Amino acid sequence: MFPHRPTKLIVAALCFCSVFTSLHPIAFAQKKTAPVEATPPPVNEQFKFGDVDLEVLKQADLLDVRFERDGLVLADESANAFVRRVGQSLIPRGLKLERVSWQFRVLRDPQPNAFALPNGSIYVTTGLLTLIDNESQLAAILAHELTHVMRRHTYIHNRSDRKKFLTMNVMAAVGAYAPGGVVGAVIMVVTTVAPFIMVATMYGYSRDLEREADLKGIDMMISAEYAPEEMVNVMKLLDKDIEGENVRLFYNDHPSLDERIKYLSNYLGARADKVTQQMELNRERAAYFKKMEPLMRHDLQLAINAGRARSAVYLGQRLVDFHADSENLFWLAESYRALGPRASQLTEKELTNSALKNAQKKREKRTAEEEERELLATPSGQEHWQRHQQMSEQLYQRALNAENPVPVAHRGLGLLYEKLGRGTDAVAEYEKYLELSPEANDRQRIQRRIEALKEKLK
Amino acid sequence: MSGRAIALKLPTIMFALVVLLTVSGSHVVRGQFLHPKITSKETTIRRVVVLPAKVNVVRDSMKGPEGMAAESDELSARVAAMVTEVLSKQKFVTTLPATGSAEGDAQQKYNVADFQTKFDDLLPKIMKKRSDVKKGRFSMGDEVLNLNLDKGTDAVVFIRGAGKKLSGGKTAFTVLVGGTPAYLKLQIGIVDARNGEVLLYTDPVFTGDPTTAVDRLRKALEKGFKKLPEVKAL
Repeated sequence: MFPHRPTKLIVAALCFCSVFTSLHPIAFAQKKTAPVEATPPPVNEQFKFGDVDLEVLKQADLLDVRFERDGLVLADESANAFVRRVGQSLIPRGLKLERVSWQFRVLRDPQPNAFALPNGSIYVTTGLLTLIDNESQLAAILAHELTHVMRRHTYIHNRSDRKKFLTMNVMAAVGAYAPGGVVGAVIMVVTTVAPFIMVATMYGYSRDLEREADLKGIDMMISAEYAPEEMVNVMKLLDKDIEGENVRLFYNDHPSLDERIKYLSNYLGARADKVTQQMELNRERAAYFKKMEPLMRHDLQLAINAGRARSAVYLGQRLVDFHADSENLFWLAESYRALGPRASQLTEKELTNSALKNAQKKREKRTAEEEERELLATPSGQEHWQRHQQMSEQLYQRALNAENPVPVAHRGLGLLYEKLGRGTDAVAEYEKYLELSPEANDRQRIQRRIEALKEKLK
Repeated sequence: MSGRAIALKLPTIMFALVVLLTVSGSHVVRGQFLHPKITSKETTIRRVVVLPAKVNVVRDSMKGPEGMAAESDELSARVAAMVTEVLSKQKFVTTLPATGSAEGDAQQKYNVADFQTKFDDLLPKIMKKRSDVKKGRFSMGDEVLNLNLDKGTDAVVFIRGAGKKLSGGKTAFTVLVGGTPAYLKLQIGIVDARNGEVLLYTDPVFTGDPTTAVDRLRKALEKGFKKLPEVKAL
């Protein structure tokens, strides 16, 4: 036994050193998180590019190309130009950053989200742009993302992750070759537990960077004359869990929304900045909706395609409240038709974490058609379906009776009647639609439906 | 056997497993599932449109995974081309171009993108119970007609994939300690171009460097479409 002891001791020492290294970030986490009173300078000037960072940069550039090529970037020049203007107004004047070329783009995705690539490309989804209320809230989102780029968070995070991955792999190797006996057992336990600690520190570090981006974002908003409270309002909007997706996980790379609202409110309270006239102007809801109306309609279609019918109804109602024209009425009608037998809002019970987890599991298994069938077999599902199809029919009719009616409302009615088993009415509506829109993109689809229905009605 | 003996044998067992996987399982096909309409020959797939493949590979090193965006794009194009080749040479299926997808046509670009997204949403459900393809459970709906493909198109082919290439250090680590070897796993769905029903699902897998193992890829695809009936002359 004796000759083996030094080897065992070295291995044991190596394990404990590694664990200490992994625990170190946790021990000092409180110290490292940005205090409310002071935020770091806007730009990380000490940052020097290494080979690893250049590789990340290359990947980011290729990702931009992929988004564009795959039809994920919205080709609406006025929406992109608006986002670009707000984004540019937040960048400190004369700021030149090495290997950063600022690009602001809208991504066609109904899920509310925004992210920054280290090359300066900032993406905001249509889902987020549709959810927010004014230009200042957009500025809050962009200021947060700009901070990630200016403080080089992606590179720093990547460097930190690489070190942690290396430590984890070394520990796995040590664990695999652990000797027997008590020392071996200790090593096995330590090397098994350590990766979990490592993962926790990775997420912890990510949360610190998010917090820094939130607080620096506030500073940037104030400099560009955007009301900083709107950052808190964005968090509150994101906290509205319309689809029941905010499942709390054991590890999170962002601080919880409650926590973000709390520290942002504290920071704003400590700063006590005055609200200027320009800040008030930038908070105008109507001006924002006017600019974003076409984008909002586009997002509604995406939300319906993605089975996010509750979000579609919520957003459709916002559109109609703002401007009840034929097109907006049509979109609200489409949303109610898509909602079908589902309830328009989730109950408190359905929003508990365990209920959300169960719902998520069901979503992973069931198709939308199966979900509808199951709901229609229940009295509440039947009741919702009755109400929603009536709402939908009324809204289609209103869309057709409004000024400049959109022909596509006939298609909506056709689809609704077909589902209700009113074949003759459905055919009449489909035919009206094709008559009014001879160049419709979905002509082939509707034509086939007409043929199938006529065959059935014979 | 004592705990120590097990601990000492662990790397040897791992090594043997890696070797076994590399040698015997170089092109494994996990399953092929056909819609009853195909097995009963009610529907025949003669002409298809292969949509752009989405295959992602990462380089796994001792310092964690690294993106390989350029290699992934290259591999995606290669897989799509090889699927076309295998379908045409082995099954005599004609591949048609995705008509209407003219450059700069934003609406058509959106249509294709949205339909690809729809497949991405359906894929996890198929993978949960792949055998249900045989019951005709999965459909993408008649929105498939909005792609405005050539009238003679019978089906649309969707290709997804994920793979891993190992760095030198990670290869040595895998041999000594254990872990997943380099691999490529594909998920291919063939969808009826008239009503959106999933007619075939197959998920060929092979071990080896996904960016260079061209022959393994071809063999895996050939096996992946083995059950698909050949097209007989009209």
